[in-house]
Amino acid sequence: MSNPLDWFGRREALLAVACLAAVLLFSFLSPYFFNAENLSAVLSNSVELLLVGLGMTLLLGVGGIDVSVGVAMGLAAIAVGRLLQAGVTPAVAGLAGPVAGLLIGVGTGSVVVFGRIPAIVATLGLYGVYRAGIYLCLGGDWLSGLPIGLTELVGTGIAGVPLAFPIVALTYLALYVALRRTPFGPHLLAIGDSEAKARLSGVSVNRTQLLAFIISGGLTGLAASFYVATYRNVEMTIGGTLALEAIAAVVLGGTSVIGGRVSLIGTVLGVLLLRLLQNGLLLSGVPSLWQTVVTGLLLLFVLGIEAVQGRLSLTMLMRSKSGRLASRVAQ
Amino acid sequence: MTRPLIEARDISKRFGALQALADVDLDIREGEVLALVGDNGAGKSTLVKILSGAHAPSGGDLVMDGKPVEFASPQDSAAAGIATIFQELALSENLSIAENVFLGRELTQRVLGIPFLRHKAMKRRVGELLKELDAHISDPEVPVGSLSGGQRQAVAISRALNLNARLVIMDEPTAALAVAETRKVLQLIRNLADSGRAVILVSHNMHDVFEVGDRIAVFRRGRKIADKMRTETTPEEIVSFITGAHPDVRALEMQS
Repeated sequence: MSNPLDWFGRREALLAVACLAAVLLFSFLSPYFFNAENLSAVLSNSVELLLVGLGMTLLLGVGGIDVSVGVAMGLAAIAVGRLLQAGVTPAVAGLAGPVAGLLIGVGTGSVVVFGRIPAIVATLGLYGVYRAGIYLCLGGDWLSGLPIGLTELVGTGIAGVPLAFPIVALTYLALYVALRRTPFGPHLLAIGDSEAKARLSGVSVNRTQLLAFIISGGLTGLAASFYVATYRNVEMTIGGTLALEAIAAVVLGGTSVIGGRVSLIGTVLGVLLLRLLQNGLLLSGVPSLWQTVVTGLLLLFVLGIEAVQGRLSLTMLMRSKSGRLASRVAQ
Repeated sequence: MTRPLIEARDISKRFGALQALADVDLDIREGEVLALVGDNGAGKSTLVKILSGAHAPSGGDLVMDGKPVEFASPQDSAAAGIATIFQELALSENLSIAENVFLGRELTQRVLGIPFLRHKAMKRRVGELLKELDAHISDPEVPVGSLSGGQRQAVAISRALNLNARLVIMDEPTAALAVAETRKVLQLIRNLADSGRAVILVSHNMHDVFEVGDRIAVFRRGRKIADKMRTETTPEEIVSFITGAHPDVRALEMQS
């Protein structure tokens, strides 16, 4: 931390400028964009992606990935929804989300870490399994018209501030402290740089990787509670594009897609930019189908830029990270 | 003469039909730089791997401080005070010097069960180590990726010192370095020995070996064929041992 700007580097500044530019552009393009109501809608639409994205930041940082976060959120959302239907107190039903998420995180992490299966392959397999789980649980029906209790609880929040604000802020703070102030941070980054070297240095690789999956799982479950509170239903296709969006936002934010470099603030800005673009395009009359196209193109664009800059190349991905990445660590 | 820190007695190592090491006796003393030289496949690396716990010997004993020891793993060897710095340094380029020196053994202070890093204490300790090595690195917070090859060796040595290593084994530490950097690393090696540690230097470079080594052991075809004080030999003689041109080696190899 010799450089006070360390946590807010060039990438982060660029993203902040991009967010402002998006706001300006869409203010011109649509009369419905620049008003308190719409902008606060953008923020509240960002909550799930922020939580999942912060978890994904750890996973990419440690050299892993999880493409099953969307369906994992779906499973946790079903747990929350069923409890609400059963008449359980909203607070308890809300807590069921993160609890279910933690359990799913333990499962996903165990498959990757103890099964010694590359994370991308393992989580692709689990995506299929979890998706089938959603079909089985829902049995072809949506959970809809769920009791409003959780929605009220989350909306009223503390002293009128919606619950999402303190929860996202606390999550950010906790992760920042974990990365900067505990051995978890250097261990995570060392593993992301090179698993073999980290092991040689006596870093407990399995424990650190498992912990990253469990944290990500817990945050995904937390996102599920917010999802249910917001929409009061759980549909069959829940979380379909969440993994893509989360990975895009995180990589956009400057976290390395092959590990060893993380930026929490970058993830927050990446999520905001993504949601601003999606909202702005929609209000400008672009069909919502194009939202995923924009997300996908952004992801490819960033990876393309990094490849050109030499920070990332196919051979590096194949050679399981030779550790020649740009070395800045930003949170 | 003081008792050796480590004595290898009749150490052998077989890999299937291949006799990688045969009946090697070797003493290593504190405060001494012992250079191991020999052609590729002569057995130097095998011996180093046995000392660092990566291989178990097929026969023979290791004696440390007069007591027999067995290293089942690199952790055992490290716990006994042996630090091995491999040619491909196990440093994380994206972490700072201080983080690398303490990686896997961070100083922490538990508050509510959470292990918080003691940044200041670690930074101070690394500063002391770098100063002790006279490494001319001022800021322990600089990422290792921005350092030169010689400076990286200094970081790897600091890590070894921080583990209270009594024997530091360095495998070809100057192989990839420019001339000025090489001088720096040789100076680091000298400082290590002068501070009372034992150093094993594996090298192909006769110049380095004669500049910094106190004693030179030559390996050939799995055997130790010469063990000379630097002051009692010459680079020419050592090279003739390595290539087998030396009369003693010829005589030895005629017999077998």
